[in-house]
Amino acid sequence: MYYIIEDTINGILMGSIYGLTAMGLTIIFGVLKVVNFAHGSMLMVGMYLAYWAVTLSGMHPYLAIVLVAPAMFLFGYTLQNFVIKPIFIAEKNVREPLTVIIVTTGIWYILDNLTLLIFGPQYRSLADNPLNGQMLEIGEMFISVPKLYGCITAVITALGVYWFFQKTDMGRAIRATSMDREAASLMGINQYKIYNVAFGIGAATAGIAAVTLVPFYNVFPTVGVLFDIKGFIIVVLGGLGSIGGALAGGIIIGIIESVGPQFMTATWTEAIVYGLFLVVLFVKPSGLFGQKHDW
Amino acid sequence: MVLLEVRGMTKEFGGLRAIDSLDLTIEKGQIFGLIGPNGAGKSTAFNCIAGAFAPTAGVITFNNETINGQKPWNLCKKGLARTFQIVKPFASKSVLYNVMVASFATTNSRQVAEEKAIKVLESLNFADKKDILSSNLTIADRKRLEIARALATEPKLLLLDEVMAGLRPNEVDEMVEVLKKIREQGTTIFVIEHIMRAIMALSDRIVVIQFGKKIAEGTPKEIANNENVIKAYLGEDYVAA
Amino acid sequence: MNYKNINKVALVAILLIAFGLPLVIRSATYLHILVLLFFYAYLTTSWNLVGGFAGVLPLGHAAFVGIGAYTSTILFLQYGISPWIGMLVGGVLATIAGILIGLPTFKMRGAYFALATIAFAEGFRVIVENIDYIGPFKINGPRGLQIPPLDIGLANFMFASKEPYYYIILIMLVAVVVLTYVISRSKLGYYLNAGGEEPEAAMALGVNVARAKLIAMAMSSFLTAMAGTFYAQFTLYIHPKSIISLDLSFEIAFIALIGGRGSIAGPILGALLLRPVGDFSRIYFGDTLPGMHLIIFGLVLILVMHYQPRGLQEPLTRLYNNLIRRITHNTTGR
Repeated sequence: MYYIIEDTINGILMGSIYGLTAMGLTIIFGVLKVVNFAHGSMLMVGMYLAYWAVTLSGMHPYLAIVLVAPAMFLFGYTLQNFVIKPIFIAEKNVREPLTVIIVTTGIWYILDNLTLLIFGPQYRSLADNPLNGQMLEIGEMFISVPKLYGCITAVITALGVYWFFQKTDMGRAIRATSMDREAASLMGINQYKIYNVAFGIGAATAGIAAVTLVPFYNVFPTVGVLFDIKGFIIVVLGGLGSIGGALAGGIIIGIIESVGPQFMTATWTEAIVYGLFLVVLFVKPSGLFGQKHDW
Repeated sequence: MVLLEVRGMTKEFGGLRAIDSLDLTIEKGQIFGLIGPNGAGKSTAFNCIAGAFAPTAGVITFNNETINGQKPWNLCKKGLARTFQIVKPFASKSVLYNVMVASFATTNSRQVAEEKAIKVLESLNFADKKDILSSNLTIADRKRLEIARALATEPKLLLLDEVMAGLRPNEVDEMVEVLKKIREQGTTIFVIEHIMRAIMALSDRIVVIQFGKKIAEGTPKEIANNENVIKAYLGEDYVAA
Repeated sequence: MNYKNINKVALVAILLIAFGLPLVIRSATYLHILVLLFFYAYLTTSWNLVGGFAGVLPLGHAAFVGIGAYTSTILFLQYGISPWIGMLVGGVLATIAGILIGLPTFKMRGAYFALATIAFAEGFRVIVENIDYIGPFKINGPRGLQIPPLDIGLANFMFASKEPYYYIILIMLVAVVVLTYVISRSKLGYYLNAGGEEPEAAMALGVNVARAKLIAMAMSSFLTAMAGTFYAQFTLYIHPKSIISLDLSFEIAFIALIGGRGSIAGPILGALLLRPVGDFSRIYFGDTLPGMHLIIFGLVLILVMHYQPRGLQEPLTRLYNNLIRRITHNTTGR
């Protein structure tokens, strides 16, 4: 029985990190109404940044947040401003420009394969970082310390993003744009600048997620794809556009992946996750925690 | 003969009551006007009648059939067509293509659909622009395209949502003539409009709503002299004066 | 000669060249490349029925290829049923799957449909990769299925040379292009385009948008599954990583988008342009610069979306029309 509790706790911890990786996806969708297929690749870029920052300087892995999060914000901001924005402008008459989704797919292909070209296909890991393999012993249970740190970081990030959207002027402008872009632009809000900032914030959360992953997860060029597809499932489960939903969706998947192998082959849990996704689409398409009829 | 009857129609969004037990009766062959200040719930009323939203309460009868909560495409086939306040042309397609989508509502043959579409365009003096991309049309022509599409579905009742907004005065006069012509050809018209001059000239009967509630009903003349209406539009001060 | 006649002549000329090519090209390697090119053009044209006309973005069509390939192969290996019949059975199964995905998602924003198709395809791949049997049917997990080339002949959809495959896929391609043409000029075609562009307006004009999309999706999945059977018979070996991969799903979408979705020539042009780019950069950069062809794909995709969001068929059609106009002008001028 202890195993189940232990697995559940570790599942919740890993799941909240999944939620953190998907948070940017849901933020960007909420504002731009576009699924960012390059999100996993941004996470991958963040992981390489964190990996090299820690490796070269020898700093504590979590200190890399100070560097990676702002760098990723800039990266996302620039990417949106120079590559994605022109498409939005060209298609401003289109209700839901699929061309933007396609461009993010192009960015994904380029980022992943450029990384492959530069760093090669090998797996890298921060073998001798202070968090590696650390376990917390509670009774007979072992709880992974880096995942615990990741979980705490995810919750803090979610609260921070929530606070930003509720309390700051920029946050309010972003929310206004996400509700009605025409009305917001009539109020003098520059829609495209809002998109840049939202994209930047999405990228920054991916950067934070990257930092939490690097102490215990391998870094390689296609690492983003795993999180990409997981992220899509998470945000639909939680409700596209909902930040709390992303966290909840991530935790659900984390628990299934962690507890599932007690009862079946590990690979089958993957199939269960996909099945759950399709069931939710049928039964409650707005997601388990999505409130608004925004589809 | 009564074509459309609305009894006690209510629509709530969350806690907000956008329409509050509205009653309307439209006779066949009428031009019926619906006016009210901004945000009074006019478009919401249209959306409920045309099937875009299901009303929270009330009964809508069209052509002796209850149509509450029916889907817009089925209502369209039953003879209820509408235009949108914010025009929605199929932007990458020509005017003719746009109208043909609508004329397919009553036929499966491409040839018949094309003939009908051209006939509608001709009746609106619009046929010379049939090959223009709808995204290249002027505002006035886009409004005209909205009407052409709605007409091509061969409606018994035409719901027009502010088809004159944004038009120049001479274009408004033109539109008034167009609508009169449509009525003469046997289509009943239910119109939301902001331009008082036009709606007063057109309507046989007008309903005024404010905050989702009916505050007056009558002929254009009666409405123009109604105290409640003047209050709603101009504020309390003007009533005394 | 007027414009319409020239178009007809050009069309006949292209068809004659396509059907005559195997008489000139004797190399099995080149024929193989051509067969795959037509295979991709066929897949993309089938994709285009829903991805182009209906204005949504399916990103899991590899699942239908997989359903087609596995169905006909299992029926043939275990029950000796001709792949020609298996092709139709696979089509029906894929249609059911396509409708099941479309049913909940076509009423929502396009993003949901795109994500649902990916999840379905990935889920299907995971299942196929992880099980050896579904009931009595042998799937054989990640090892895939091999078709022993014993009874060669038309009835078994198996041939010793490339030519028969070439003609089969060419005829399939021509058929699906004709079908697309007919649909684009029919009520369904108008309804799909309208519903894809402005769903609200379309609904108000009598269009049941979700139903039109479902019909398109059903046809598209059926046709895609048929290509799966063709691929299985052509290579005589299928395994989940090769035919149910996300890469295949995305490549189909990329070809359509770069060629021009929603148009009839777009998917074919896209396959003609992109397949060789992929093949050659794989050959020339494959060892020294891994992934180079995917970087090129990504770049081309972004550039095309920037400068020709309706795809390359638009400027190419314009070029062709100008050329024809000049020719007709000169001949009538004489």
